[in-house]
Amino acid sequence: MRARLSPGMLAMLPVMALILLGFVVPILLVFAYSLMPPRTFSLAGEPTLANYEAAVTDGYLLPLGWSVWLAALTTLICLALAWPTAKALVRFAGRLATLATILIALPIFISESVRLFGTALFMMPGGGILAGSLNALFGLKTGSILYTKTATLLGMVYVHFPFMLFPIVLGLSLVPQDQVEAARDLGAGWLQVLREVELPLAAPGITVGALLTFVLSLGANAEAAILGGQAVTVITKAIEQRFGYAQDWPSGAALTVLVILVTAAVIFPVLRRLDLDRLIRR
Amino acid sequence: MAASAGAGAPILTLQGLTRRFGEVAAVDGIDLAIEDGEFFTIVGPSGSGKSTLIRILAGLERVDAGAVLLRGQAITDVPANRRPTAMVFQSLALFNHKTVGENIEFALKMRGVDPAARRARARELMDLVRLPETYYARPVTQCSGGERQRVALARALASDPEILFFDEPLSAIDYRLRKMLEVELKDLHRETGKTFIYITHSLEEAMVMSDRIGIMRDGRLVQIGPPLEIYQRPRSRFVAEFMGEVNVLPAAAVTGGADTEGWYVVRPEQLRPLPPDAAADIVFEAEIVNDYLLGSRKQFHARAGERLLIGEVAATAVGVPPPGEPVRLGFDLADAVRVTE
Repeated sequence: MRARLSPGMLAMLPVMALILLGFVVPILLVFAYSLMPPRTFSLAGEPTLANYEAAVTDGYLLPLGWSVWLAALTTLICLALAWPTAKALVRFAGRLATLATILIALPIFISESVRLFGTALFMMPGGGILAGSLNALFGLKTGSILYTKTATLLGMVYVHFPFMLFPIVLGLSLVPQDQVEAARDLGAGWLQVLREVELPLAAPGITVGALLTFVLSLGANAEAAILGGQAVTVITKAIEQRFGYAQDWPSGAALTVLVILVTAAVIFPVLRRLDLDRLIRR
Repeated sequence: MAASAGAGAPILTLQGLTRRFGEVAAVDGIDLAIEDGEFFTIVGPSGSGKSTLIRILAGLERVDAGAVLLRGQAITDVPANRRPTAMVFQSLALFNHKTVGENIEFALKMRGVDPAARRARARELMDLVRLPETYYARPVTQCSGGERQRVALARALASDPEILFFDEPLSAIDYRLRKMLEVELKDLHRETGKTFIYITHSLEEAMVMSDRIGIMRDGRLVQIGPPLEIYQRPRSRFVAEFMGEVNVLPAAAVTGGADTEGWYVVRPEQLRPLPPDAAADIVFEAEIVNDYLLGSRKQFHARAGERLLIGEVAATAVGVPPPGEPVRLGFDLADAVRVTE
């Protein structure tokens, strides 16, 4: 007797095919290339770990470290900024909150590079919008943070803030107001309410926001290129150089695998503890 | 041992308490003194302002005017977390991410009590509210409705508050469990001797448990007194009708035109079927429309002219003819209350 696929399984087939071709196969190819001898374009070579050794000895751990560090800092800063913003949006739900949400979400619909060039114009020394305005209005001569690590970090925070904010808004909306009031009634100060009630109940939203922000920041390149100048080389820039300028696909693939491993090391332990169902079923 | 109502000085005094939401006064100049150890229930229809009032007392809502005094000390501006009171919420507001034990110990943890002492107190309270000790480590989400009520009670009692507030905690549970918990709450009040301030829209709950009842309407307490007094001697038609089924008869109809102001309110149990030779101050010739068995009581509806009268007798009583038959109904003026508003 022939086994027949259920309608649900049939409906899933196109998506499964897309995931297989668009996600699994490229990752397997990257992994395979990472084991090929340096500067080869074939998958038929003798497998070697030379590219991984080179990643360590040729100084590529530094860009990787910078990327992880900037991604972690971006995540923390976005979290610190998004929490009070999300609380205000949830607490004062209404026309003002809707307007604020639109204003925060609107930049997502504009090209990231355009936004970052705009930010660069804002930060530019002397004739930049900020420095120029301060000079013209108040006679203040200020320096500029453009083309520094700080500018890179600010750009990453600016770009990734919505990815932290909206999951936290969703998470905070899971916190019943009566439980917050009950905690207050039972003697909890605001810090205790935060620790005992709000953070645990909003945890799914915070986790999703933090993961999104971290992973996207880890893969970010434009902020370092446009706002950071040559102040810092991030791992994605190094990967781009290996694949493009250096024409060394196996080396680029090895660096990519390292980034994937770092990402997996962060994501999988967190995902195992995350009750995504609760967020989805709210 | 419970302190009896009226035995001492007020534990809680409200002076001209007012809270407005826009143009609407949810609480409108309330003056009230509640005595130590009293079980005081505020009853009123939806929107009468009773929940706002109890939230003000718990410190969860600010006031626009007036004062709240606890043993003579103003606590009007003291935040909820610094008041020696605790509330059982309508939703219970249990912390669903915590266990039964963690819920009960919450107030003690907030006060820095060490874990061993917290645990001991939690077990003591679980015993008091009749929760098995094995429930200590159980997630609160795995408890039944009645068990959750008990957890909420134990949690509120944990910090040994001077006053316990209840915001309609039994409103969402089935009849049988509610009746059981009403009795348990009354027992708990007696055993702890604490002041209970209870909000409900259920007259029955108020009658079963309270030392005194305050009837609330449009942000004001329109009558305060012991349950029986309010039931038997309502000061207004609103209170009479709110406190259960009642016959409201225009004064002119009762006095034969001698008094035309206001109404006479007669409880169904005061309106009795009269044998042919029996007398009463006021007598109606009526016809039975229908009758309903209410367990040990039987209620009947009778039409007297344009008026539909409600009477109630023991289920085993004789003298109520079947529907469609004529009947003589009467009551004595001493059993009726005349109200003018």
